[in-house]
Amino acid sequence: MNEEFEPRIVAFLCKWCSSAGSDLAGVSRMEYPSNVTPIQVMCSGSVSPLYIFSALNKGADGVLVSGCHPGDCHYIKGNMYARRRLALVKNLLEFIGLEPQRFRMSWVSAAEGLKYTLVIKDLVKELKPLGPQTKMRRKQ
Amino acid sequence: MANIEALRQEARKLLEEGKVRTLIGYERGPSPWVSSPVFLKSADKVETLIWDPTCVQNLVRFLVDDKRRQAKEREPDKRPVALVVKGCDSRAVNVLLQEKFIDRSQVLVLGISCEKTGMADAKKLAKALKSKKFLAVEFGEGDTFLVTTAEGKVSLPADQVLAERCRECKANVPVISDVLIGDKTKRTPAKPFASVEPMESLSAEERANFWKEQFDRCIRCYACRSVCPMCYCEECVVDSINYAVTAETSAEEKAQKIRWIERSSEKSENIVYHLVRAVHLAGRCIDCAECERVCPMDIPVRFLNKKLEKDALALFGYEPGLEAGLPPLVSSFKDDDPQDFIR
Repeated sequence: MNEEFEPRIVAFLCKWCSSAGSDLAGVSRMEYPSNVTPIQVMCSGSVSPLYIFSALNKGADGVLVSGCHPGDCHYIKGNMYARRRLALVKNLLEFIGLEPQRFRMSWVSAAEGLKYTLVIKDLVKELKPLGPQTKMRRKQ
Repeated sequence: MANIEALRQEARKLLEEGKVRTLIGYERGPSPWVSSPVFLKSADKVETLIWDPTCVQNLVRFLVDDKRRQAKEREPDKRPVALVVKGCDSRAVNVLLQEKFIDRSQVLVLGISCEKTGMADAKKLAKALKSKKFLAVEFGEGDTFLVTTAEGKVSLPADQVLAERCRECKANVPVISDVLIGDKTKRTPAKPFASVEPMESLSAEERANFWKEQFDRCIRCYACRSVCPMCYCEECVVDSINYAVTAETSAEEKAQKIRWIERSSEKSENIVYHLVRAVHLAGRCIDCAECERVCPMDIPVRFLNKKLEKDALALFGYEPGLEAGLPPLVSSFKDDDPQDFIR
C-alpha cells in the first residue's frame, strides 16, 4: 500500500489573533487539512527561536508561526519583534540547508478564518512533495 | 606600529597611581606562538606585557567573570579594571555597555590599534614557514609580519598569515577607548563577508551535508559558550546537568524546568545547540572568532555568526558594537522592517 506522505506541522498561534482565527475557521465549519498541531502562545513575540528548532528536532516537518497583523498586536509591538527575530531565524535555517518552505510565518487576524485555512492548505501543499524532514529530526 | 613601550608606560602609570584594581593584558605564553592573559595588580610586572600578532584572545570575557566575582565580595573594590583591547574586542565592550551589563565607570579601556595588519593565524603561520623552527612573530612595516626563525628573519605578507576574521575586520582601530595606543589608520576590508559567500552559493543539499558533517563532530563541551564574552546568562537554556527527574519531582517542577537539549549522545541536538547559540548572538556577535579558536573539534562555528551578522546588516542595517547608545538588534524594530517572507 502506498500511502501519501502527510506532513506534520506545528503551528504557534498567538492567542489574540491567529488562535481566534483558527477558532473561527473551526466554528464556521471551514475545511482544512488536519496535519497541523496548533500550540497557543500568548504572542508571536513570545515564540523563542528555540521553540522552532525544538519542534523541528522533535519531528515536525514544518513550522508555522502566526500572529496579529502589524499594528494590531495585543501587546502593542510583540509581533514587530517577532518579525525581526524570525526573519533571522528563517535565513539561518536556510543557511544550514533546511528547505525554505519548512518554516512559515503569517499574519492571521481573529476575523480571518478563511485566510487561516488557506495558509494551512498552502503549507501542506508545499510540504508534501518535500517528504519527511530529516535534517534536524532526532533518530528515535 | 603600536608601541609596546607606550602601553607599558600607560600601564605602569595606572597601577602606580592606584587608579585601577587590575590590569588585564597579554603576556608570553608557554611557547613563542602563544600568548596568555595576564592579570597585573602592581606596577612591578608591567614588563611582562606584550603586543604582537599572537595576542588573539578576547579579554572582554574577563569583565563578565569579574562582575560575578565583584558581586560576591562583601566590600567590593570600586576602582575600574583596565583592559587591553583590540579593535574587535572594543566592540564587545560596546555591546556589554549597550546591554547595560557593565557600567562604563567599571572599565578603563586601553585600546590598541591593529593598524594595517591584525592577528596571525597559528595554523597558517606554521604552513607558511614549513618546517622552519619558529621563534617569534612581530608586526612588520606596513602590512607585513616579521617572523624570526632559527634561520633568520622572514617578512611575510599579512594576507598570507592573517586570521580569517581579521581579513574581514571592520574595526581595526578600537571604537571605544580611554587611552588609544597606535595609529588611527582605518582599514576597510574589500569583502567583509567573503567567508560566508561561498557557502551561500552552494545548494541546500550541499549545505545540509556540510553542516551535518560539522555538527556531528560536536562533543558538546560548550567551550564556545564559555569563551564568548556575550554568553553571560546566569542560567543557560542548554544546561540541564543539575536537574534530575526523580519519583519525587512534581509535574510543576518538570514544567518549569523544560529541558530543551539533553546532554545525551543524540547528534541531532548538536544542530539545535549551535543554532540556539548563533541566534542568541544575533546582532551581538562582534566576530572575535574565539568560539572557533577554542573548538577542539575544529567546527567552523564562526560561519553561523557571520551569516547572522550579514543578514542583520542587509535586512536591518544593523552593525553590532559600533555604537553603545543604540538599542540592541532584537529588542528594537522599525515599522518598515522587511516582511516579504510573511505570507
